[in-house]
Amino acid sequence: MPTNRLVAKEEVATYAGFLLNAANDAGGQDAVIEVRDQMDKILRIMNSDMDLSMALADASYTPKQRHALAEAVFADCNPTLREVLAVMAERGNISMLHRVFESYGQQLGEKLNLCVVDVTTVVPLDDHLRQIITQKAEADLGKKVVLRECIDKSILGGIIMSANGKRIDGSVSTQLAVARNELKDSTDGGEC
Amino acid sequence: MKAIAAKSACKLTAGALALSTAFPALAFASEGEETGGISAILPDPIEFVPMLIAFIILWIILAKFGWPMFNGMLEKRENTIREALKKSEEAQVESERVLAEYKQQLADAKAQSAEILSEARNTADAVKAEITAKAQAEAADMIAKAKVAIEAEKKQAIVELQGSVADISVDVASKIIGQDLSDDEHRKIIERYVSEAGGFNAN
Repeated sequence: MPTNRLVAKEEVATYAGFLLNAANDAGGQDAVIEVRDQMDKILRIMNSDMDLSMALADASYTPKQRHALAEAVFADCNPTLREVLAVMAERGNISMLHRVFESYGQQLGEKLNLCVVDVTTVVPLDDHLRQIITQKAEADLGKKVVLRECIDKSILGGIIMSANGKRIDGSVSTQLAVARNELKDSTDGGEC
Repeated sequence: MKAIAAKSACKLTAGALALSTAFPALAFASEGEETGGISAILPDPIEFVPMLIAFIILWIILAKFGWPMFNGMLEKRENTIREALKKSEEAQVESERVLAEYKQQLADAKAQSAEILSEARNTADAVKAEITAKAQAEAADMIAKAKVAIEAEKKQAIVELQGSVADISVDVASKIIGQDLSDDEHRKIIERYVSEAGGFNAN
């Protein structure tokens, strides 16, 4: 197991690069985006299910057992992603998946000049909004943008956009939270 | 010795008296013979001589034995009286000295008591002033602390009230927005936010 941070960073970049190239070779941009989406979902599942995370990284299992476990768990995923996850579990590197996901996004922009923007709204976007959002994101990021839409009623309204770890929060819930904090924190010293 | 001398003097006196009483018979015997003229006032020698002798003897005896005793008794009495007077004078002097001493002590005691009383009064005044000042300081301190506490409570109440108002307002706004806005209105809000929001590079 590598202890040097540079070696670990190189490993992460290698995993991400292999995934990107393999997905791009297999299915082009759609496959690349599909792998990214599936990796994102797997990260969410592993963050919420500690048993799965611990089992995939459990040193009491043999590398082959961890490989077989990963393949069985992620059987429905993209074959390239499934194979990479199985190798990471076999080598005890499954904990690097979050960093692999970040590196994947960076290499996506560097190699394919592509950026995935996650858009969260209360109602589904229409074409007009997609066009506005895409133009804005491309103008800001200087890359071709792919929108990944998500509906979340809890934000009450507005929009949340995030890409490459950067986030624009224009949701009504956040605006209300800000207003709530400003109302609570405002101390004008006046009499009641 | 004095008792013996006194007894002998008594015996001599008794003898003289007996002799003088023996001759009056002779004197009364001669009264019938010469009763007129100068002889009425002149003593009869027959009576006079024994009486004189008896008188002289009596006088000698008294002078010899009675007077010294009497004189001794007087001197003794005088000495006794003198000593008593002397003692009384000494006692009087001593009593006057003691009286003066007592008066002096009484005056000292009065002065000392007055001084103690004055000191006690001064001490009491000082203690009273100190207690009063301390009580006033404590009261002022308590008032100041109470004011601070009241002010803090007031601010806390204001903050809590502001928080409650903010929560209620936001909750009401959330419900209104979540229930009353149509999809088109949501899309207009999204479009406005997109146009007004800063870019990715700005964040």
